[in-house]
Amino acid sequence: MIKKFQNLNITWGTALRYIAGLIVAVYLLWRILQTTSIQGSYGPDTWMRFLITGLVIGGIYSLIAIGYTLVYGILFMINFAHGEVMMLGTFAGYFVLEAFAAISAPGSGDQSLSLLNAYPFPALVITFFVGASVSALIGYLLEKIAYRPLRGAQRLIPLISAIGASIFLQNAAQLLFGPQRRQYTNPDLLWRGTGWMIPVGEKSVMLTYTGTFSFILSILLMAGLLILVKKTRLGKSMRAVAENKQAAALMGIDVDAVISKTFIISGFLAGAAGVMWGIHNGLFNHYVGFIPGIKAFTAAVLGGVGNIPGAMVGGMLLGLLESLGPAILGIDFQLKDVIAFTILILVLIFRPSGLLGETLKEDKV
Amino acid sequence: MKFKNFLILMIVLLVSLSACAPEPIEEPATAEEEQTDEPVESVEEVDGLPQACLDDAFGCAVIPQGETIKIGMGAPLLGDYSMFGTDISQGVSLALQVDDGFEGWTYELVAEDTGGAPEAGAAVANKMVTDPTVVAIAGHIFSGSTEAAMPIYEKAGLPMMSPSATEPGLTQQGSKVFNRLAFTDADQGMFAANLLFSQLGFSKIAVMHDGGSYGQGLADVVQAEFEALGGEVVAYEAITPGEADYVAPLSAVASTGPEAVYFGGYAAEAIVMMNQWSQAGLDDVLFFGCDGTYGVEFTDKTGANGEGAIAVSLVPPDSEEKSAFDQQYGEQFGVEAGELSAFSWSAFDTGGVLIAAIEKVAFVEGNNLFVPRGALVEAVRNSNYVGLTGLVKCDEVGECNASGPTFYQVVDRVWLPLE
Amino acid sequence: MITAIKDGLRAGLITAIIFTFLILIGFTSVAANIIGDILGNPQVLNNETRLPVGNLLIFIALVGLFTGLVTLKKGSNPPWTDVLFRGLTGGILAGLIVGTVIYIVGSFHMEGVDFRAYLPNLGASQLGYLLFYSTPIAASKTYLLYFTVFSLVGALARKTLTMLTGLRNKLKSIKSQIIDWSDKKNFHSLVGNQLFQAGLIILVGIGLYFLPLVWGSYWNYIMGTVAIYILLGLGLNIIVGFSGQLVLGYVAFFATGAYTFALLTAPEPHAVGLNLWVAVGLSTLVSILTGLLLGLPILRLRGDYLAIVTLGFGEIVRILIRSDLLTPLTNGPKGVTNVGQPIWRGHVFSDVNYMHLLMLLVLAGLFIAKRLKDSRTGRAWIAIREDQTVAQATGVDTYKYKILALLLGAAFAGLSGALFASRNQFTGPEDFALMVSVNVLCIVIIGGMGSLPGIILGAFVLKGLPELLRELADYRLLAFGALLVVMMIVRPEGLWPGQNSKKGKMATFSNSLGEDNLEEKV
Repeated sequence: MIKKFQNLNITWGTALRYIAGLIVAVYLLWRILQTTSIQGSYGPDTWMRFLITGLVIGGIYSLIAIGYTLVYGILFMINFAHGEVMMLGTFAGYFVLEAFAAISAPGSGDQSLSLLNAYPFPALVITFFVGASVSALIGYLLEKIAYRPLRGAQRLIPLISAIGASIFLQNAAQLLFGPQRRQYTNPDLLWRGTGWMIPVGEKSVMLTYTGTFSFILSILLMAGLLILVKKTRLGKSMRAVAENKQAAALMGIDVDAVISKTFIISGFLAGAAGVMWGIHNGLFNHYVGFIPGIKAFTAAVLGGVGNIPGAMVGGMLLGLLESLGPAILGIDFQLKDVIAFTILILVLIFRPSGLLGETLKEDKV
Repeated sequence: MKFKNFLILMIVLLVSLSACAPEPIEEPATAEEEQTDEPVESVEEVDGLPQACLDDAFGCAVIPQGETIKIGMGAPLLGDYSMFGTDISQGVSLALQVDDGFEGWTYELVAEDTGGAPEAGAAVANKMVTDPTVVAIAGHIFSGSTEAAMPIYEKAGLPMMSPSATEPGLTQQGSKVFNRLAFTDADQGMFAANLLFSQLGFSKIAVMHDGGSYGQGLADVVQAEFEALGGEVVAYEAITPGEADYVAPLSAVASTGPEAVYFGGYAAEAIVMMNQWSQAGLDDVLFFGCDGTYGVEFTDKTGANGEGAIAVSLVPPDSEEKSAFDQQYGEQFGVEAGELSAFSWSAFDTGGVLIAAIEKVAFVEGNNLFVPRGALVEAVRNSNYVGLTGLVKCDEVGECNASGPTFYQVVDRVWLPLE
Repeated sequence: MITAIKDGLRAGLITAIIFTFLILIGFTSVAANIIGDILGNPQVLNNETRLPVGNLLIFIALVGLFTGLVTLKKGSNPPWTDVLFRGLTGGILAGLIVGTVIYIVGSFHMEGVDFRAYLPNLGASQLGYLLFYSTPIAASKTYLLYFTVFSLVGALARKTLTMLTGLRNKLKSIKSQIIDWSDKKNFHSLVGNQLFQAGLIILVGIGLYFLPLVWGSYWNYIMGTVAIYILLGLGLNIIVGFSGQLVLGYVAFFATGAYTFALLTAPEPHAVGLNLWVAVGLSTLVSILTGLLLGLPILRLRGDYLAIVTLGFGEIVRILIRSDLLTPLTNGPKGVTNVGQPIWRGHVFSDVNYMHLLMLLVLAGLFIAKRLKDSRTGRAWIAIREDQTVAQATGVDTYKYKILALLLGAAFAGLSGALFASRNQFTGPEDFALMVSVNVLCIVIIGGMGSLPGIILGAFVLKGLPELLRELADYRLLAFGALLVVMMIVRPEGLWPGQNSKKGKMATFSNSLGEDNLEEKV
């Protein structure tokens, strides 16, 4: 009997792991049952609101998380300054929108009609493009200045360099633009707090224009990225470099150029996410990138770092967990990050490489 | 290789040690501030100290001619909370600047960064007490940082006047040096609960806070007080500060059907909440804020969404002095007063109160200005000053705001005093 | 010639960007003030609204010199005409760009445009100063002139310098052949002398004893913080440096130590009033238990997965401490005040006593860490760090050793947490932010992974440097961030690398195959 037990190769750690997992699972099921059917404390409209806000935030997290994952997939480093890349995109978008709002539309004869309100959609497209491009540029420079000289150094060295870059960029933004919070000037069409009213049950729930807009755009960008990685030549060389740098170099791929382009793409997505953040939530200052940065990093690991669909799933899941988690478990909303991180720990205990992550080879880890 | 490492270590050690050592005397040309260490040594030669200084428990600050009278401040000037520190240091420095000095000595603000953290608050306090020309402290800004700094100033006999540290416990520790202009959470919460229940006639409210000591303190008082009056608190929810989406907690609160939501916290979170008010289904529910949410920033950034919101401020409605201050502040710093934080006016008064107290006790003898420290501590406690925030008169524990709050409501995007 | 112009343009562009950045963050006037201070120039002229223009011109000249210096690459020695071209093109480009920026901004300023809503540093006083209180066109011409002239001077100076050092090196090599040998031997025999060593140790000991007495409460406080961070660094070094596990939530153990101590000794909220030394022991124990709780399930994870899980754990601890849920237990966001302080010979510990205690503990910690490193356990850890699979194959119980490392690290953190709370007399949730973990990790890595003297250096750099940089006021964190990056690029192996931190297979960045010199091959 004992021998049989030993053959199963169960150590104390594993046993504890599974017992703990079982307890947690039973507790979760019980709580979910209690809040949804027994207590019924929230109506269907409230659940709908949770769902909508979770998806919108999830979309933004996904975009930032992809940046972490792309860089990690190729360089195996945590780009700690990625949140700051996003922050600078938010600033760039803000200035573009301010410019559009300040110029009055030509030919309309009405001085009070700004370019922004006369042509809201072209203005927004330009804003997104400029914001994302600025972030892409920052990402490129970041790699060139702070990471490239460190190729071949020990693994943790670029992490410290990234932390330094993060502190630098954050303070540079504060010194350049001042410490005050700023707010995006949305076109009147897309003003915050306006949207479609959808009837749910007896009440109606607002589906905001900005939220819908952000969500659709993030889905489009992610689809675009998937196509880029799967179909184009650049995508192929990115995958090749991620798989094996030396072999890729031998096949005639310019490894440094591919790494640069990876940083440009991840910066571009982060910048777009930054502008979305501004348009949807409005308020921002030099600190805006820090929390989304940490959250997106969590999301990337949750989905399996290095895996692009994993980052998307992880981001969405994290967004939903943050809005639905406290409600389902019936605990304070203040503790939503505790829930998110606990789920992360639980997922990693049972699936050590994240939800969609492949098991990494020893030498990669 | 090893020897090289040894050299590097030695160099680093030397650099750090040389920085720790007192300022070198053979280089008198470096920075004006650095010379301030010298007077201490020369004090003995100033033909003996005046009797008032020998009698004083903490001795005198001796400020030679050509030096400035320094007022210290520990404030979050960098990082996430930098707008508070920047605003308050600007307000105080303006007060020091408009004053025409005392017998030829002018005032100077020495603001050091704490990042808002208690640990750094203590570090700054330790730095302040080593500078002999710092006579008083405007601050600190956050309660945690103030708490950590108090014992250090207590030992050195430096009077404090905080425009924004609101934790009720701060004045309950028997500190002689600590005073504040800010309103304690206990008082403010009581006023707010009374207004909500008796005057506005609400019976069901929800209470929210931002998870900080300021917000939580207020929320707890309001909850207790409102229930004591006979009302019902249907939801008590905390949010995570610094985020940009509060639809989820607001929806949860909305589902309990409150008539009004009390929020203890700062403008940043209040603005985001206000803009998501209807998304969360709170359309007909009143927003009731605190003195941290009052200010131009709130009305600027909520626009139509902020209509009807209520907040509190120490600042009475427009006076001539206030508009003069507003104008000067705007011209000098390029932002409106109240844009960075709600404490611009209290900060200005803090400077004014400290100057008034210093001028009461300071005296000139020979080429030096003497400020008896112990007497200054008492003078600040005995302040009787009328400023932008009304009468400043400290009670025996150091609560100096004697004029009570004014409630404001947003009408047509402007804060108007509530009838 | 083409490369010369190219290099010159590059240098010019870079300095122009840096200089414009300095203008926008308002550093130019600060730098001018510092120069004024150093030269002893009066800060304010008779007319109080104007700053002395000379200081600013000196600063511009210095930046111009810098442009010239960087037009020449390290180790190169181009001919004189080439140098002339480099200096000129660099200076002219930089001058043109900066001059144009100044001209544009200045013209708008003259028309009464207020930039401060978007760029708060471009206020009237700063802009007036940048324009030398004259017209935009005259000012931009001055910039062009200064940049060109001083860039040229810089380039020529560097050329001269390289020639001189070349000569000096030649001289030196001849000289060293004669003298060097005997010198070196003397030095080594002196260091090797036991009497000398003992004397040195006694001297350092006396120095350490007396330093806290003389350098005042402020430096005691700062050095105390440095000492606490040395202890934290020693602890994290066991986890990261020795056993190679990347833990980003080290602050969790620090926080549990601090809070356990505070709650057991402070009058509020629980009034336990435990004996202080027992409380110190208990807080260490609680931290170890926390380590066990965290370590048992997750230490099978590797690399960055472990990093994010521990980061999450650190955040969980902080959020829980300040949450409404645990406020009755921990006093929530208000923190715990009046934390107990030890009593020595009838009076409460002063800052000097604390400093002495901390120094003793740091010495003890160094001793323990050193013994651990040289022990069988230490060798097992290093085996795990270098290659876990091989270590396992040679019979090392990796799981056991990893948990042991985590527990020891947690013990260090718990102890320093207790000291931290006691010394500050206060502990609040804001003291345990994510950046604490990051700072401690930086300490371990900046010093050199696994190296003990490196940690001391790292702690001085991380916690001492920002205090030294306080003179730079608002710019100190900016400078600090830039220094971190530069330090990593210049000395990626750390300030004082340990002897056995090889560029191991598993520890190499960016290359899954473990090839170190990818650059050469690509």
